[in-house]
Amino acid sequence: MIRRILIASILVGLFVPAYAGIDGLTGTTFHFTAKQDFITTPDGGSITIWGYANANVVGSRAQYPGPTLIVNEGDTVTITLDSEPTFAVPVSLVFPGQSKVTATGGTPGALTNEAGANGASSVTYSFVASSPGTYMYHSGTRPDLQAEMGLLGAIIVRPSLGANYAYDDAGTRFDQEYLFLLTDVDPTFHDLIEFGEMASIDTSKFYPVYWFINGRAAPDTMAPANSPFLPTQPYNALPRMHPGEKLLMRVIGAGRDLHPFHHHGNHAQIIARDGRLLSSAPGAGPDLAHAVFTIQSVPGETVDALFEWTGKGLGWDIYGHAPGDPLQPNEYAGDHGKAFPVVMPELQNLAIGPHWNGSPFLGTFGDLPPGTGNLNLNAGYYHMWHSHNEKEIVNFDLFPGGMMTMLIIEPAGVPIP
Amino acid sequence: MNMKALLRGASLFVGLVLFAVGGHANAQVGNIRVQCPGDNDGNATIDTIDPLHPNAKCMHLAAGDGFINMADGKLLYTFGFSDWTGTPADDVPALGLLSSNFPAPTIMLDEGDEFYLTVTNVGMAMRPDLFDPHSVHFHGFPQAAPVFDGMPEGSFGINMMASLTYYYNLVEPGTYMFHCHVEATEHMQMGMLGNLYVRPIQNRRPNGTVLGTHVHSNPDWNANRWQDDPLVGDKYVYDDGDGSTRYDVEVPIQLTAMDGEFHDLHLAIQPLPFAYMLDNYPMLNGRGYPDTINPAVLMNTADDPKPSQKVNSIIRAQPGQTILLRISSLSVTNYYTLATAGLPMKVVGLNARHYRGPTGKNLYYDTHSVTLGGGESVDVLIDTTGIPAGTYPLYTTNLNFLNNDTQDLGGLMTEIVIAP
Repeated sequence: MIRRILIASILVGLFVPAYAGIDGLTGTTFHFTAKQDFITTPDGGSITIWGYANANVVGSRAQYPGPTLIVNEGDTVTITLDSEPTFAVPVSLVFPGQSKVTATGGTPGALTNEAGANGASSVTYSFVASSPGTYMYHSGTRPDLQAEMGLLGAIIVRPSLGANYAYDDAGTRFDQEYLFLLTDVDPTFHDLIEFGEMASIDTSKFYPVYWFINGRAAPDTMAPANSPFLPTQPYNALPRMHPGEKLLMRVIGAGRDLHPFHHHGNHAQIIARDGRLLSSAPGAGPDLAHAVFTIQSVPGETVDALFEWTGKGLGWDIYGHAPGDPLQPNEYAGDHGKAFPVVMPELQNLAIGPHWNGSPFLGTFGDLPPGTGNLNLNAGYYHMWHSHNEKEIVNFDLFPGGMMTMLIIEPAGVPIP
Repeated sequence: MNMKALLRGASLFVGLVLFAVGGHANAQVGNIRVQCPGDNDGNATIDTIDPLHPNAKCMHLAAGDGFINMADGKLLYTFGFSDWTGTPADDVPALGLLSSNFPAPTIMLDEGDEFYLTVTNVGMAMRPDLFDPHSVHFHGFPQAAPVFDGMPEGSFGINMMASLTYYYNLVEPGTYMFHCHVEATEHMQMGMLGNLYVRPIQNRRPNGTVLGTHVHSNPDWNANRWQDDPLVGDKYVYDDGDGSTRYDVEVPIQLTAMDGEFHDLHLAIQPLPFAYMLDNYPMLNGRGYPDTINPAVLMNTADDPKPSQKVNSIIRAQPGQTILLRISSLSVTNYYTLATAGLPMKVVGLNARHYRGPTGKNLYYDTHSVTLGGGESVDVLIDTTGIPAGTYPLYTTNLNFLNNDTQDLGGLMTEIVIAP
């Protein structure tokens, strides 16, 4: 099945790493309009969705997932929700992990006040973002269907300590941060909505065949954010870092299944779950943190983990230095100048991947056959971050795809926005 | 088609392939290359200790295809690895053909080892239309560099009739796992999965070393570590410093599952169903119950020259001993919960790390079940002190996976036997 890799390589070849960091809306006052639209999948499919559009910008389309709200600890956050005139069902917002949420306007529903169908009424939700951390929101109106249809999103509450901290503790400082909102989709439900057959939907028959990070399936996860050919999927998921930096992973289980999110490259230290530091006592810091190589992402749960990488202890110099050469920033001195331990196979015996720099060494290009390795612009190290229930790294029957992206460890000096 | 008839047909077919391979063997032989310090003849065993690499350990795996037998008698076509350490390198392409194991040969290492793992892609006898490369992903290896990570998108796979040597400097003990990462969903569903663990250097501390309230026993201690058997004396899961992860008996348990229809379609050279992959053969160490408690090597046929299922899951201990279960999951589709009935579990390690916080606080917890998705591992201690002798089940509490396809009372279950 090697041709699948080749096809995927061509697809991936369209994309060049462009933007890093967490995209979203900042401020304290937001306005969402629920709309119907569609998303595309890398196998050429399109799937009808329901999504929250940012109504503060005229003409905004629904997006999958909804806008990521980035607020500050202590903010009073206000979100007004309505729906477009053709949106035929009531809709709402709930905020797991937030306390004392108020809802005014609209019609009382099972979980909270609902905005009327077809834009008949609006609801204003408000809460104080009292605890920093990673959270989600989703529709509280028939959530078994509406959240799966796309009515969900992330909330990041920044601590008072500063923007480069996950929590109000010095042990939670980071250099880079990325969001991984994991979802799964059964397109049958979406097709029935598109065909006007909502009454035929049986959500107990959920059988996902598409899997997403931040609303995109691989390799679209690695395309630039706000890409014009993905107008309703604005967020990418392409983590980048330099050796020695701390990268904060904010992982949200926003789908219906558990997903074992395996991050190649190194262990990560889980410092918080559900927006609460893993701490035995106030002021003790993340003393209950622990290291994993796979984050067990559970539906509705958020996990914050710190990932670091220097190449320490590999037993060979990852920069290919001679013993007398100067050290690179954050290089592990214990391996400095140690020779590469084996002889590489001849090029014709290797099936080269699209992100291989042609050399074992970070920041050094090596010989590559024509047409290979062209996605690695800076001779970085690429590590796959993906669901390790490997069935979930396909797009329907096409491998690779789904819940997968790459971490890029860039050589020191390569700018990361 | 009757699968056993098909297997017989396969041996004839393999003969033809061997003939074809032999036709240009001279042109290829230089690509089969074992790299192992201190090995003078290319068979991946150390003949004289290389003073520059006294802690080297070597292994030679062939990557190819084969067949395995399910507990209900169904024969499945598989991809996998077989161990040819000790065999001259040039013989491996022929011997390794159609001989893959499930699970893959277990890799047991020690902290401080330099591990040279040579992988030779011997091709797929039953799928001559494919030219798939293979790789080894040492799952969870810390501070990894792509060159030895085996993830082919960020590095490469090794083509047929060629060898690749991976190098791992082992500094972190724990329970890992390994698998082929080429076209991972397919090659992992097809069975390229195995147990891999690293024992701590604490096992090799001098006899009498005080570890907190525990005094370490190591009667065969030797400053030349290759003369100090890490399994003689006290054994630990991690470098705990206090003896709290000491155990007597260790058993690796790998949770996997296969979709019989996927394997049949593969053999029939049909498009593969990824979206509708549905595992109907859940297994521990490559077997469904009751094969898990069969001490024998399983044979596909009565005179099978290359048996493929060599690992059982029998767990035996004497009363009062502590059992270490090194549990990992390489399921491609599901989460599984594995539980004991009548025996206590203590979780002391998670994902190949001592379960201890950054300030030294132990996070151990007592339980009788652990839940793992694909790519997770957990270290569980079972202290049998005060436990009556007897046979206790280790089984999945996802009770719908206690089956071998339509055969009841099978799947993810084995037995823990406590007997004097």
